[in-house]
Amino acid sequence: MGLGLTVGLLGVLILSHAAYSTIQYRGLLKITEEEFSGPPINVVLELILGFLLCMYAGLTVPGNFHSIHPSSEENRIVSLPENLDFMIFNHRGRVALSDSDMKLKL
Amino acid sequence: MVTKLDETELKRLESQVEHGGGGAWEYLCLVRKLKIRRSDKVLKHGLLILNDPKKRSSIGDEEWTLYEQVAIAAMDCNSLDTARDCINVLSKKFPESKRVGRLEAMLLEAKGCWEEAENAYSSLLEDNPLDQVVHKRKVAMAKAEGDLLKAIECLSKYLKVFMADNDAWRELAEIYVSLQMYKQAAFCYEELILAQPTVPVYHLAYADVLYTLGGLENIQTAKKYYAATIDFTGGKNTRALYGVCLCTAAIGQLAKGRNKDDKEGELHTLAAKVLEKDYKYRAPDKLPLLTSTLKTLKLSS
Repeated sequence: MGLGLTVGLLGVLILSHAAYSTIQYRGLLKITEEEFSGPPINVVLELILGFLLCMYAGLTVPGNFHSIHPSSEENRIVSLPENLDFMIFNHRGRVALSDSDMKLKL
Repeated sequence: MVTKLDETELKRLESQVEHGGGGAWEYLCLVRKLKIRRSDKVLKHGLLILNDPKKRSSIGDEEWTLYEQVAIAAMDCNSLDTARDCINVLSKKFPESKRVGRLEAMLLEAKGCWEEAENAYSSLLEDNPLDQVVHKRKVAMAKAEGDLLKAIECLSKYLKVFMADNDAWRELAEIYVSLQMYKQAAFCYEELILAQPTVPVYHLAYADVLYTLGGLENIQTAKKYYAATIDFTGGKNTRALYGVCLCTAAIGQLAKGRNKDDKEGELHTLAAKVLEKDYKYRAPDKLPLLTSTLKTLKLSS
């Protein structure tokens, strides 16, 4: 958790630095009156690195993944809920369970 | 839907609670969430919580939900006095509540006073004609009285209005199966499969109904639905595996003399293999029984 968060923060810092560098580069272009041909290599490298770090943090920090396979242990349906809306009370439990000695204390 | 994970969790909590390990409230919550009928245990542990002022106050507002849960469990266990007490507490807290009124009517049902219960439900319906639970209770009452045809009639009328109620479709299918009206039951299960195509239990039930109906075409379809069940459960559903084997045997018998489909030759041998593996792992002493059964079906290789 701590590691993932630190990596994520680092990624965000690098991305902001890339943004700052881009703004600076645009300013430089205006001053030297050159045509824009492509972003400078250090910005591209920073973007890639920041993206990777942020992706790592995004995948590890929120927790584990759940399975989407219908046949996995956590998704495999073994039984349906009993249809309690339609439950009826005249069954054999009426005889078997009637002598409950517990009472609600009021 | 009860998944494998839920089931293991429930078993763990149940044994923990039964051996006095605590966690009764979590157990009761899980039972309520999964809609499982464990009335005797709910009654026992629910009363333990409700009778202890300290535990009762620790669950806060959920207390009233627990009263309701225990009341229904008490009716199911025929401790009508306890149910009466719970309902009294609830009606003191929530006078004029429809939900408590429903409980009162259910208590009449549990006592066997059908006419009074019917009147109570009718008056509840007058106030709110779209109360689904009350409609369902009326169906259940018809079922309890043994009048299954009336239950079917009520349920069909209910389903005309509330078509998306899967539980009701399932109930109707089960009633039809109990009356051996398999064609109608098959229709209900088709409806259920359309509504929830990823629930293997519906596929399994539909396949069972089709297999019971018989006839080459139905059994071929049944086999496909058994195969779908195997697909959704990862081959861990023994009934579906047996279903595939039985269907293959039945198709072989019905299609005797006609040209056999070579394409279908693989499925049942695979199913039989999985069955054998499963039995070897879980019940080794029953394995000879399985092998002889498969041999009589002429499926084992």
